[in-house]
Amino acid sequence: MEGLHIHGAAHAYGGNQVLTKISMVVPGGELVCLLGPSGCGKSTLLRLAAGLEVLQEGTIVIDDVTVATKELHVPPEQRRIGLMFQDYALFPHLNVIDNVSFGLIGMAKRKARAIARERLDQVDLADLTEAFPHMLSGGMQQRVALARALAPEPKLLLLDEPFSGLDTNMRASIRQMTLNVLKESGVATLMVTHDPEEAMFMADRIKILGHGGKILQSGDSHEIYYHPNNEFVARLFGFMNTIKGIVQNSMVQTPFGPVPANGFADGEAAQVLIRPEGILLAAGADNGGVPVEVNSTHLLGHFSVASLKIASDRNGAQEFYVRVHKEFLPELEGRITARVDPEQSFVFADDGTAPGEPMMDDLNILSPELKTLLSTGLEIADKDGKTAEAAE
Amino acid sequence: MPSDTAAVTAQLAPSAGKVSWGWVNPWTIGTAVIAGLAILPIAAIVWIALAPGDGIWAHLVSTVLPSYIFNTLVLMLGVGAGTILIGVASAWLVSTCRFPMQNIFEWAMLLPLAMPAYVIAYIYTGIFEFAGPVQEMLRDWFGWTSKRDYWFPEIRSLGGAISMMTLVLYPYVYLLSRAAFMEQSVGVLEASRVLGRGPWRSFFSVAFPLARPAVVIGVSLVMMETLNDFGTVDFFGVSTFTLGIYDVWLNMNNVTGAAQLALTLLIFVMILVLAERFARAKKRYYVSSAKYQPLPRYQLHGARMWLSVAVCATPVLLGFVLPVAVLGVYASAHLDQFTSTDMLRFAGNSILLSTLAAALAVVIGTFMAYGLRLRSEKLLKIIVRIASLGYAVPGSVLAVGVLVTLGAIDNSIDGSMRRTFGISTGLLLSGTIVAVTYGYLVRFLALSFGGVEASLAKITPNMDGAAKSLGHGPLSTLRRVHIPMMKGGLLTAAILVFVDAMKELPLTVILRPFDFHTMATIVHEFASDEQIGEAAPAALAIVAFGILPVILLSMAIRRSRPGHSQG
Repeated sequence: MEGLHIHGAAHAYGGNQVLTKISMVVPGGELVCLLGPSGCGKSTLLRLAAGLEVLQEGTIVIDDVTVATKELHVPPEQRRIGLMFQDYALFPHLNVIDNVSFGLIGMAKRKARAIARERLDQVDLADLTEAFPHMLSGGMQQRVALARALAPEPKLLLLDEPFSGLDTNMRASIRQMTLNVLKESGVATLMVTHDPEEAMFMADRIKILGHGGKILQSGDSHEIYYHPNNEFVARLFGFMNTIKGIVQNSMVQTPFGPVPANGFADGEAAQVLIRPEGILLAAGADNGGVPVEVNSTHLLGHFSVASLKIASDRNGAQEFYVRVHKEFLPELEGRITARVDPEQSFVFADDGTAPGEPMMDDLNILSPELKTLLSTGLEIADKDGKTAEAAE
Repeated sequence: MPSDTAAVTAQLAPSAGKVSWGWVNPWTIGTAVIAGLAILPIAAIVWIALAPGDGIWAHLVSTVLPSYIFNTLVLMLGVGAGTILIGVASAWLVSTCRFPMQNIFEWAMLLPLAMPAYVIAYIYTGIFEFAGPVQEMLRDWFGWTSKRDYWFPEIRSLGGAISMMTLVLYPYVYLLSRAAFMEQSVGVLEASRVLGRGPWRSFFSVAFPLARPAVVIGVSLVMMETLNDFGTVDFFGVSTFTLGIYDVWLNMNNVTGAAQLALTLLIFVMILVLAERFARAKKRYYVSSAKYQPLPRYQLHGARMWLSVAVCATPVLLGFVLPVAVLGVYASAHLDQFTSTDMLRFAGNSILLSTLAAALAVVIGTFMAYGLRLRSEKLLKIIVRIASLGYAVPGSVLAVGVLVTLGAIDNSIDGSMRRTFGISTGLLLSGTIVAVTYGYLVRFLALSFGGVEASLAKITPNMDGAAKSLGHGPLSTLRRVHIPMMKGGLLTAAILVFVDAMKELPLTVILRPFDFHTMATIVHEFASDEQIGEAAPAALAIVAFGILPVILLSMAIRRSRPGHSQG
């Protein structure tokens, strides 16, 4: 059994349960991503695997070696793992090559340096071996950290928000390079992030961790995005138009027409979540949609965002937000119809906590990080337009 | 006030706002003058030492100089090594481990800072000398009768001086290395663990190298204090430079010789200052991350746990608790001393001088720091830096410089008065409390200036801009914006100068008026006459004042790491 096996891991700080009975596997050669908002315990799980926190309950096995149980704690230096820190944690008193060869213990210096040089070559830093960390840009530091973590050929690589310190222009290229290096080395990798796009880009398998440290869903990018199995997972990818209703004849009525609610009993309270790109607009009534009035449109680069109302809805005035891939043409105004893409709309039980109206105020009650996540596609164009990519 | 007028004029004629005052600015000129006065004593020493005259340099070189250099070097190296050992070890244990009383040691390690080296030297001499309780007890136990029957280490020796100074100076190293350990990114240590190095190897390959600049700063400060010490080496009869200067000055009555020795000593000082500056520059790169996490602490058990307690407890017990207890016992036998008119007069003198020094140092420090903030001319910056080097110059050297400077001023006044009015004014300044205060100011200016500068740096320049845009001139902005905002910092600076001035010995001994005593000098005088009991009340008072900065420091540490206080 190569890779990382976690069974029934639980962890609490004081009385605060941060991880609840987590079980998961990172098979050899695969990249698994833990995706979740800040405070969901994903970094704790990483630190438990690394041995930087002492496991309180459960078992952790790396490459068939049990490294942690309630009674056993193999110290981090004996686990043969690589860990890349969010702030990289490069040693400021050592130059690049000494940083990278730091983990090559018990090896002749010449040989260690040769290996380190190879690793640096792999991340395109072969000519910066003598530089000190403070002389490097953020992207270079990130690459040194990656080379350092991989140099001792760890059995397991752990990445803690590996790209969060980089500016958006650099992120795409570094991400691609990191993925290439990881695939080349074939090491089992567990990565932690709060950025859904990053997880979808990097991971073979994504695990969504909710508050209280429970795995809510796991699957590949397609499954997570198109078949979220609960409201939390669906909302992770950004803003959702929300329509509340009561199930009748296995259907929820929406202004866009009935939406099938399979598995719901009649009379149950339900909510329909529609992605901004899940409302499809067309000129005239020919797509079978309902007539809508456009209140405002904003061109945001790769796409435009429009807010609209159902034309016949005189008093309700629920606003819907739509994302389209072109500049919105003003002459279409007034003669537009809208319908819902069934692939981008989801029905969940309404437990009364989620916002019924897509008002931005409602988002204020959420954590700032989650708020940005929820509003990425809507408010302002995301710095790198990443939600646009995610939607494509 | 000229500066206010300037601001008003500028306001009335907005187009004149760009007129550059350059050097003709009261702040700039004032700062330059003050800096000049602070540099004068050191310049005077260089001048006298290098001037051809009745120097006895050749004589000194062939007789005492080699032993001065040897003793001074051994003293510095010994105290340096001792303070690194105690300071770094205790800082590491206190910062990263969990063991009984660890949260008490966090601040208690600083307590010996309150103890002047000369006081502890008197106390341990009382304990360890031939007639002292320890040797008496040994004689009783083993039936020895005379000195020839056994060997016992002589406390009044170079080794004794090293031990005494190590015991009271290690807190500098402790303080700085503890701060360095605390600001190290936890991630860096964890990275080392993950990359396969255990806790011990991580300490030597990551934590200590990263703390090294801080340790160097701490040791430089320790060595500066070592060079400054007069009381201990005088009492123990260890002929170091400091003692040599005093000897050549007062017993051989040779100004040039003293200045030449002082200049040689200044070379040692320069090396220390450069080492300190270099370390400070390097330190900036060694802060790898601003991300603070509560430090992980290793719970220690069994023998390791008790060893850690011993490592931390021993210096506190020997450097503070035991000496204070002994002082208490002595003082209780001389309770009448506390209310004797003599002692009250000496205490009054001490408080007068220390208050004068503290108040002036803070006012002048504020003026300089603010002047620099208003116009940071490059030349002005350099002058101010040189002026604040006084803290590194040993008190005895400074004393010679002050005497020479004031003597020259007195003579020129006297000369001109005699020529014009035919009257002799004699020595106006030399041997007065003006001279002592001048010396204190030169030595402690850096303390107040540094404090004010740090407090000022925390105030955003936008505050100045806001005040300016609302029509306030520099002085009014200082009074109504900056001073209220940095009240705490100013008070801290004043307390630090006050206490240091109270403990100060070499400057006071040399510069004081005839038959004028402070608590420090009377302690020294009693102790030199082997009347340690009589010295105890005053010594106890000095120690009591010395605790003030310790409290301030531990409060500052607590504040600097808010997330840590609950841990």
